Amino acid sequence: MNSFLGPLDSQGRVPASQQTRVAAFLISAHSALARQLAIAVPLRLHAGWQTELHAQLYRETEIVSLLLRATSWVPDPAIPFLAISWETAWLPKPAMTGDGTEGLMIDMAALGHALHAAIRPAALLPLEAAADDPFVVALRRIEFESSRLMQAQIIFLKDPGLLPVRQDVNASVERRHAQVRELWTAMLEGIGVGCDQSGA
Amino acid sequence: MAYLSYGTHTIRYELSGPETGPAYVLVNGLTQYAELWEAYRDALVAKNFRVVTFDLLGQGESDKPSLFISQDDHVAVLRLLIDQLGDGPVFLAGISFGGIVALRYAIESGHRLAGLVAMSTFAELPPQLFLLGNVMRTGLILGGTSYLQDMLLPMNLSDAWLAPLLDKLESVKRQGWLVNDVYALQNLMESFLDFKPLTPRLHEIKIPTMILNGEFDFLTPRPLHDTLRSHIADSALVIVPRGYHAFTLEKSALTADLLVRFATDVMAKRWKGGGSVWIAPDEAGGEIEPFPEGYDHLRALPIRLAST
Repeated sequence: MNSFLGPLDSQGRVPASQQTRVAAFLISAHSALARQLAIAVPLRLHAGWQTELHAQLYRETEIVSLLLRATSWVPDPAIPFLAISWETAWLPKPAMTGDGTEGLMIDMAALGHALHAAIRPAALLPLEAAADDPFVVALRRIEFESSRLMQAQIIFLKDPGLLPVRQDVNASVERRHAQVRELWTAMLEGIGVGCDQSGA
Repeated sequence: MAYLSYGTHTIRYELSGPETGPAYVLVNGLTQYAELWEAYRDALVAKNFRVVTFDLLGQGESDKPSLFISQDDHVAVLRLLIDQLGDGPVFLAGISFGGIVALRYAIESGHRLAGLVAMSTFAELPPQLFLLGNVMRTGLILGGTSYLQDMLLPMNLSDAWLAPLLDKLESVKRQGWLVNDVYALQNLMESFLDFKPLTPRLHEIKIPTMILNGEFDFLTPRPLHDTLRSHIADSALVIVPRGYHAFTLEKSALTADLLVRFATDVMAKRWKGGGSVWIAPDEAGGEIEPFPEGYDHLRALPIRLAST
């Protein structure tokens, strides 16, 4: 199993079948986040930190739109079945705190953290990938933006106000990380890509 | 490659060399990974040392906790690793971030060590280093690991090392970029948010200690190393000529030779620390010269010490 996407074609492009599967996964994940954010962002912002949520909502939408346009799509009969398991996984699972709303917010932040932190689509690209190919640029852009996007989750999840429930927060984030990694790894294995990108 | 359990986490480490030899445990800097010690492993094993290299919690192929890593965790992992090494002499060497972990271990469990090597490291966060750390954290957040690497390379390595690599820097950076994740590096950096200076406890380090500082290290300049020298009784400060913060990467043959000579001297009871200051040779095997008497080793100019 390869550590990277490919083999690339003569112009350095990722095979369309791999583009389709990777893009389908990312669209499923980021559109789920966008849906959750659309509900979480109030019509009228009341606190400064909510501007971050607002920005995230549109960044997630941008990622979905970008992938829809940058991917060379081909028919993939497995996607409807895979999408069911992906979409089920993204459903809210409130953290085990006493407060239901707080638990939902923690879970939403945990899912966002996991999707932005644990998934590194650009690290799948071999060195020879065409630097100006739209799909290649899209993967690099998504990974680049992720480090900024997850700051809102980090600020929220590490907030001293959550100190009394830190163990629950940690457990929720670790659970979402494990879930996202498992689905991402399984999806990649389905297209012949191993998860060890270290080259070691 | 072996794996060690620390709570629910897994630590990747590698143990090389003869089972009965004295051991050297090498602790990574912030953006390092275990393979970067390869030249040291080979040089030390050739001199019959056992060598332990590993990825810190949050680095490389060790587990990366999603939100919180405490510096206590690194010391605890180090304790588990060293406890596996039996009763033979153990030398501990750490660079930069890893130097702090090594210092903390030596403060808490110095009795377990035969000697300590602190390289490009510090016990306090004075304003320049604090602000540089903040800039690096912001750079990581805004520009990712690649941008952090772009900041660190020219800051920590010499023109002589960089010049032949200028047109292939991307490939130089690639492995570090692949194995290090932004959130994990950020967690490692944020473990400094509640950093307490180690200086008040440095006197508890009673073991022989060699402090290595690059001549041109401006990330952790000489005064930071001098704090270690002046508070650790059996220490010596060795200045590495033309060395920058990452001299361990740039001058691996020389540094590995210094590590071997330090351990050999300690085991032969020839080591004389006493807060002395030395200048390392340019090349491995050369003479280690005492810093010229009467001159101030904290200055870049040849300034005579004020008479007292």
